[in-house]
Amino acid sequence: MSIKIQAANVHLIEVKLRTEFNDAEGAAAFALLREQGLSALKEVRTGRLYEVTGSLTANQAHQAGKDLLCDAVTQEFRLVPPSPAPMNGMNFWRVEVWLKPTVSDPVGATVAEAIAEGGLQRPTSARCGMLYLLNGRAVKAQVEKAVAKSLANPLIHRVVVTEAHP
Amino acid sequence: MKKPKVLILRAAGVNCELETANAFKHVGGDPELVHISELRGGKKKLMDYAILSIPGGFSYGDDVGAGKVLANQVRHTLTDLRQFVRLGRPVIGICNGFQVLVKAGILPHSNACDQSASFTVNDSGKFETRWTHLRINTQSSCLFFKGLPEMIELPVAHGEGKLVLKSPRHLEDLKKTKSIALQYVTEDGKLMGYPHNPNGSIFNIAGLTNPEGNVLGLMPHPERFMSLHHHPNWTRQTYRKAPVGLEMFKNAVDYAR
Amino acid sequence: MSQLAETNQDAFPILGKSPKDLRAIGAQRHLSLSDAEWGAIQAHFKTLKREPSLAEIETIAQTWSEHCKHKTFTSPIRYTEGKKVRTIKNLFAETIVAATESVKKPWCLSLFKDNAGVVAFGKKWALAFKVETHNHPSALEPYGGAATGVGGVVRDILGVGLGAKPVLNTDTFCFGRPDYKGALPEGAHHPTRTLRGVVAGVRDYGNRMGIPTAGGGIWFDDDYRLNPLVFCGTVGIMPQWAVKKEVKPGDLIVAVGGRTGRDGLHGATFSSANLGADAPSSAVQIGHAIQEKRVLDALLAARDKKLYGSVTDCGAGGFSSAIGELGADCGARVRLENAPLKVSDLDSWEIWLSESQERMVLAVHPKSLKALEAVFAAEGCELAVLGEFTRTGKLEVVHHERTIVELDMKFLHKGLPRVEREAVWTNNHAAKPAGGVTKKAGEALREMIGHLNVCSREWVIRQYDHEVQGGTIVKPLQGVRHDGPGDACVIWPHAATGDMDDFSCFAVGHGLNPDYGRIDPYWMALAAVDEALRNLTCVGADPSRAALLDNFCWASPEDPKQLGALVRAAEGCRDAAKGFSTPFISGKDSMFNQSKDEKGKELPIPGTLLVSAVAPVPDGRKAVTMDFKGPGNALYLIGRTNDELGGSLYHRILGRTGGEVPKVNPASALDGFKALHAAMTRGHVLSAHDLSEGGLALCAAEMGFTGEFGCLLDLDECPRDPRIYSNETLLFSESPSRILVEVKPENESAFLRHFGKSAKSAMVRRVGQTTANPIIKVTGLEGSTCLEESLKELKEAWQTALPRILG
Repeated sequence: MSIKIQAANVHLIEVKLRTEFNDAEGAAAFALLREQGLSALKEVRTGRLYEVTGSLTANQAHQAGKDLLCDAVTQEFRLVPPSPAPMNGMNFWRVEVWLKPTVSDPVGATVAEAIAEGGLQRPTSARCGMLYLLNGRAVKAQVEKAVAKSLANPLIHRVVVTEAHP
Repeated sequence: MKKPKVLILRAAGVNCELETANAFKHVGGDPELVHISELRGGKKKLMDYAILSIPGGFSYGDDVGAGKVLANQVRHTLTDLRQFVRLGRPVIGICNGFQVLVKAGILPHSNACDQSASFTVNDSGKFETRWTHLRINTQSSCLFFKGLPEMIELPVAHGEGKLVLKSPRHLEDLKKTKSIALQYVTEDGKLMGYPHNPNGSIFNIAGLTNPEGNVLGLMPHPERFMSLHHHPNWTRQTYRKAPVGLEMFKNAVDYAR
Repeated sequence: MSQLAETNQDAFPILGKSPKDLRAIGAQRHLSLSDAEWGAIQAHFKTLKREPSLAEIETIAQTWSEHCKHKTFTSPIRYTEGKKVRTIKNLFAETIVAATESVKKPWCLSLFKDNAGVVAFGKKWALAFKVETHNHPSALEPYGGAATGVGGVVRDILGVGLGAKPVLNTDTFCFGRPDYKGALPEGAHHPTRTLRGVVAGVRDYGNRMGIPTAGGGIWFDDDYRLNPLVFCGTVGIMPQWAVKKEVKPGDLIVAVGGRTGRDGLHGATFSSANLGADAPSSAVQIGHAIQEKRVLDALLAARDKKLYGSVTDCGAGGFSSAIGELGADCGARVRLENAPLKVSDLDSWEIWLSESQERMVLAVHPKSLKALEAVFAAEGCELAVLGEFTRTGKLEVVHHERTIVELDMKFLHKGLPRVEREAVWTNNHAAKPAGGVTKKAGEALREMIGHLNVCSREWVIRQYDHEVQGGTIVKPLQGVRHDGPGDACVIWPHAATGDMDDFSCFAVGHGLNPDYGRIDPYWMALAAVDEALRNLTCVGADPSRAALLDNFCWASPEDPKQLGALVRAAEGCRDAAKGFSTPFISGKDSMFNQSKDEKGKELPIPGTLLVSAVAPVPDGRKAVTMDFKGPGNALYLIGRTNDELGGSLYHRILGRTGGEVPKVNPASALDGFKALHAAMTRGHVLSAHDLSEGGLALCAAEMGFTGEFGCLLDLDECPRDPRIYSNETLLFSESPSRILVEVKPENESAFLRHFGKSAKSAMVRRVGQTTANPIIKVTGLEGSTCLEESLKELKEAWQTALPRILG
C-alpha cells in the first residue's frame, strides 16, 4: 500500500474511555447538563480529541494514537474520518469542545512535544478538544445552549454539536 | 556509615522531588535529583545508584493521562530499569511515580512486560487531598514495610488515582503473587467505600509491589509523614506510633546498605 | 527594509486631534486613556516634533494604566467629610506607606517597590508575600482567569529580588450566592458556575506547580454576582542575599519561559475598563502550569549559580512593562525579532505588548549567558536574548531594522499627569438597630452555622493539594475527623530550606468583611487587620512579627462616594498599622469593579478590603489547633464584648439594620494577642479559636464539634461592656480582638500570669469549661439556660450547606 504524503495532513484522533470503566468525568458533565434543563439525558461518556497537523502519515498518526495518546488498558482510539457521521434522529449527540485558535492550548503543546520525542516528525500544530457523547433525547439548539452554559465558554471555546451513532 | 545513593527522578511537572529528597537524606541516604534528560543524554546512569525513587507531581501536566508521557520516556530511556529491579535494588514510585511505574509496565509484575493495570479519574470526579487509613498486606514481603504495624495512616492527594485492571482475572493474579502491598481501609481495618477508599480503586488497592518485594508503587505520600507533626492529629496527641514515612524510607536505605 | 515598514501600523497620528477624536480612537483600541493623559502625550510628541507610533501609544497606555500605575491611590484627592474639606496629595504615601515608615521594623527587607514585600525569616532566609487579584478575567472565563491569576502571582514571587521559591498559595474569593435565582445580563455567568470554574482554575494551576494551596476564604454576597473577586496569594522563601537586584548597563535582556502569542493583549487597560459584553476574547488565557514549573526550576537553579543580576515577570503589558521597568533607571534597546513566537503572523506592537503567560525577563551579564543557557536547556525551557540594557535613558524597540518605539524613560515613568478627583464621605448609618424579625438563640445559631459565609469549605479545600512540599503541619481542616475550620495553616518550609531539623515555621492569616464596610470602611479596615492578626495568633504565630498586605477592590473611583469610602478604608489601614505596630509590606488595588445588570443599571461591588498577614511561628512543634482537646478543661475568653451587632451575621439573618459596627482598640488587642502567644510558647494552651462572624456562640460550637467535646459557658463571666443586658448580644456580637482559649486546669494560674495586669483589668476571664457531653450549653445573664444545642446537629448544618448546592 502506498501512502500519499501531503504538505500538511490533518489527523483527528479520538480517544475514549472503554465502556466497561466508570466515567466520573462523564457523570460530572451529566449532572451539569441536567442542571441546564436536559432532563431526558440518560448518560454522558467522555473522550479526548487530538487534532494533529503536520507531515504525519495516517499510519504514523495511528502509531501516535496507540503509543502516546491512548491508555493500553482503559481507553480505545480511532482516527476520525473527515466525512460526516450518519444521523439517526435526536437520541444521541456528539459534542466537541475546542479552544478557539487564538487561545493557547497547553495540552496540545505537550502532545506535539511528545510526538516529536517519540521519533516522529514534530507536528506544526496539535490541539486538544473534549468529547462528550450524550445519550438522551434532545433538540440541537437545546444541547448547544446547555453546553454553552456548563461545559464550554463561548468566549474561548468553539463547540460542535452533531447527531451521532449510539 | 555508607550512604546509599538515591536517584530522585525529575521531569517537567514532577513536584514532590525536594521533600522526597529530604526524606531520604533524613534517614541516611544520599539523594540526588536527576532530570530524565540527563539519563537520556548518558550524563547520568541509573545503575550507578542504589535506590530509585519516582516522586509525585504532574509530570508533563498529566496531559493525555496521569504519568503517561513520563511512562513512555521511562520505557525508552531507563532501559536498564528491569535489570535494576532484577538486582533487587529498591524502587519506589509515589503517586504520579506509581502511575508511571504502572503505565511503563513495571507494576504489577508480569513476564510479558505489558501494561495490565491503569488509573482512571477518581469516582468522586474530583481531585482530593485527605489522610487515609491503610492496611499493609502482611503476606507480601515488600521491603519498605519491614517492621511496620499492619495498620498505618498516610495522606493521599490525587485526581486520577482509581486503580483499574485489564480484566477481573488479573485481580486473582495479584492476590496469588502477593502483589497487593497496601489497601485503603476504615480505622478498624474494614474494606469500605468512599471516603475510606478515596478514589474507588478495585479491591481498595492503594499500593502494589512485585513478588520479590523490592519495587513499591503507592498513591499515598510517605514523604509527607516524616515527623509526628505531619499527622493531622498531632496536637491531640492521639497518634502514638512512629511516623510511617520515616520508617519506610529508613527500610529502603538500610536495605541498600 | 522589511516589508512590515510598509504597513500602516507604524503611523499613529495624534497631533492636532481634538479630545473627542482621541477619545474615540482610544475607545476603539481599548486604550483607557483620559483626556488629560492624551493631552500630556500630545504635548510630549509636539516637543519631539513627530507623531508617535502605534507601539509607542500602546506602551504608554499600558504603563499608565490603573493596573500598572495605581492612579487612584497616587493622584490628588479633594476629600469632603461633613463640612470639612482637605486635599490628599497621594493617598498611598500618606496612609499605607507613612504608617509602615512610622513603625520602622528592621526585619522588613523590601517594601512596596519590588514585585512582593519581603521580610526576614530567621537569620539566613527571607519570606516574600504577594496577593494579586484577577477579577475581570475570572468574570469572563472563571477557569482560565483564576488559573492565570495564580500563575501571575507565582511569577511575582519568582520575580521578587532574584527569585523566591513559592511555598504556599492562598485564595480568597467573593462571589454571588450560589443559590442566586434572579436574572443576569447577557453573557454573565451564574455565580455557581463562576465558583466551580474559579476553584478548578486555582486547583489545577497550584496543584500542577506543586505549591500547597492552604489559606483564604469565601464571602458570598449577591452584589458580587457580576463582578466576582478572585484574590490569589503566594508566599515564597529565598536566601537573604537574593533580596537585592540590580540592572547594569551592558547587561543582556533575556526572555525565558513561554513563547509570545496573541493572547492576553490589552489585559492591563482592560482591567481598568468597565466590564461589558464586548470584552475582547484575547483578554482571557488558559494557563500552562508545567511551563511555569519549568521556569521555576531553571530560574532558581540559575539564581543559586548567580547567573543574572535582576529579574521580573511579564505581567500586564508583557515585554513593554517588564523591560520598561527593569530598564527604567538606565535605558534598554530591544530587538523584537529575537522573541520566540507561538504564531508567525504577529504585528510588531503585538509582540511587544502581548501578555502571554509564563514568561520572565532577566538582566544577564554577557559572560554568564552561556552558563545560563545550559541551565535552561537542561530543564527544557526556552531562552532568548532580546537586546541589552543601555545608558541612554531611552526605551528603544527595533523589529527587523525598523524602530517601532523610541521613548524617553523619564516621560514614560514620570510623565503621567495627575488629575485631582473628588471624594465624599458621609456617615448616615443609624446607630440604633431597627427592623427584622426575632429568633430564639438556638434557632439563630442553627441558621448562622449553616449560613454560606460560615459553613464548611471542605468541598473546596480538599480539591487543593494543601500538603504538597510536605510542610503543612497545621492543616486547613482540623480536629478528630480532620474536617473542622482551622484559623490558619502553619507551614514548615523544609522543602525550600532543605533542613528537616529546623522547625521554624510561618503562618498566614486573612481578614475580610464587606458588611462592616457598608457601615463604615474605616472600621472595616481595622477589623480586617485585627482578624488577620488574631487568626495568626490562634495557631501560634508571633503577632509582634506580623507583616500585612492590603488588597482593595472597589467600584468606580470616579464616583465621589466610592472614592470617599476608599479614603476611609485607607485611613483605617494606616491607623491599624500604627496601632498594632505592624507594617504593610505590599499591596494591590483593583478599581472599576462594577457592571451593568440585566436592566442596564450599574451594580457596584461593596467596597472590599482583604488584609493578609504573614508571621513566623518560631517553633512549629508548639503550634495550636482550634479543636477542644478534652473534657473538664477551663475556657477563657480574651477580649471585651461590646454591643457591636452592626453589620453582623446575626443582624443579616434577622434582616435587621443599624447598630454599632465593631470597633478595634489596637493597643489592647495587641496586648491580648502577645500574652496569648507567650502562653502558647510555654505550652499552656490546648486550643484557641477566634470569634468572628456569629460571635461567641458560633466560635464555641465550632471548637466543640471539631474536637467532639461539649462546653458549658456562663455569659455573666464574659469580659464585657456593663451596659449589655441581652444574652443575644453576648452570644452573637462581633466585637473584634476576642479569642476563646482552652486551658488545662493545672495550667490556669500559669496561663493567667502571661496576661499580667490585663488579667486584673478583666480582659481575660474564665467563662466556662469543656464537657464530655457533646452539647453547647450556655447560662444567660439571668442565671438560667439561654442556649442548649446538640453539636452533632450543628455540625451537620455546617457541613451540608455548600455540598447541597454544589453537589
